[in-house]
Amino acid sequence: MHIPDGLITNNPAVAVLMWIVSLAFLVWSWKKAKATYSRSITALLAISSAFVFAAQMINFPVAFGTSGHLVGGTFLAVLLGPYAAMLSMTIVLLMQAFFFADGGLLAFGMNAFNMAIIGGLSFFLIKLFTRNSTGSRRFISSVFVASWLSVMVGALLAALEVGPAFAGGIMVTVPSMLFYHAIIGLGEGAITAVLISSIQRMQPAIIGGLTLLKEKTKL
Amino acid sequence: MKKHLGTVALIVVFLAVFIPFASSSPDGLGRVVKTFGDAELAPFWNGLMSDYAIAAIGDPYVSTLLAGVFGTFMVLLATFLLGKVMAPKNPEVLDKQ
Repeated sequence: MHIPDGLITNNPAVAVLMWIVSLAFLVWSWKKAKATYSRSITALLAISSAFVFAAQMINFPVAFGTSGHLVGGTFLAVLLGPYAAMLSMTIVLLMQAFFFADGGLLAFGMNAFNMAIIGGLSFFLIKLFTRNSTGSRRFISSVFVASWLSVMVGALLAALEVGPAFAGGIMVTVPSMLFYHAIIGLGEGAITAVLISSIQRMQPAIIGGLTLLKEKTKL
Repeated sequence: MKKHLGTVALIVVFLAVFIPFASSSPDGLGRVVKTFGDAELAPFWNGLMSDYAIAAIGDPYVSTLLAGVFGTFMVLLATFLLGKVMAPKNPEVLDKQ
């Protein structure tokens, strides 16, 4: 759901607005991250972000001649906690936009919000669902649902943002984006749930976000 | 450190194995544009390796793999630096796991 500039150049005000909104969230997450993390997060931060970049390149086919790929926002949020996840995902998106023209530069604020900020915020949804009881089946189901929802919310926002570029407007983009991403989101949920449960089993100590999940995370 | 290098190597192996199987169908947004959209306006920035391909390399597999490995290392480097700047040197804040 990376929005290219070609879809929003007739809608620059919203693009600028989303730049401002995303920057505000990034400043907030930067401040929270500085107060939250220790140096020991660095390796996990770098490796999980690199993996998300690689995984985003592998599109899996879904129905109707359409493909999807892992976004990875919820995956990073569970591993790193919400703040580092937002920053990390923003860096992934920035590299994609700058080097590979995957997602526009004017549209970067939109893409950062739809994927990085929403992905990071999905952390709080998992926290709400699990009610601080981690290590259970409930936790993995929460990860699945939160991943699916993060894709759906991102798709809804993207649909609203690109709506003006379509003759039918958001009446066309919202239902069609939600339709395809309801299926793509199942892939996101399944991949994220499998990855998190495997990491939890093999390397339980490295799930830093889980430590945050257990503690009282203050907004 | 060795363990981390191993994990990074696994990511490269992951790319090498899965790139041939990646679907070339449009993604969700691409499908919506194809079905309902008018012509998309030309972007003003085409990136250095548009569509994850290095123009100078003819073989599409090698081209995409190298672009992917390049991107992976750029993200690795950038987020490593982020971690260095973001986290304090003395691990007191949240190291009581």
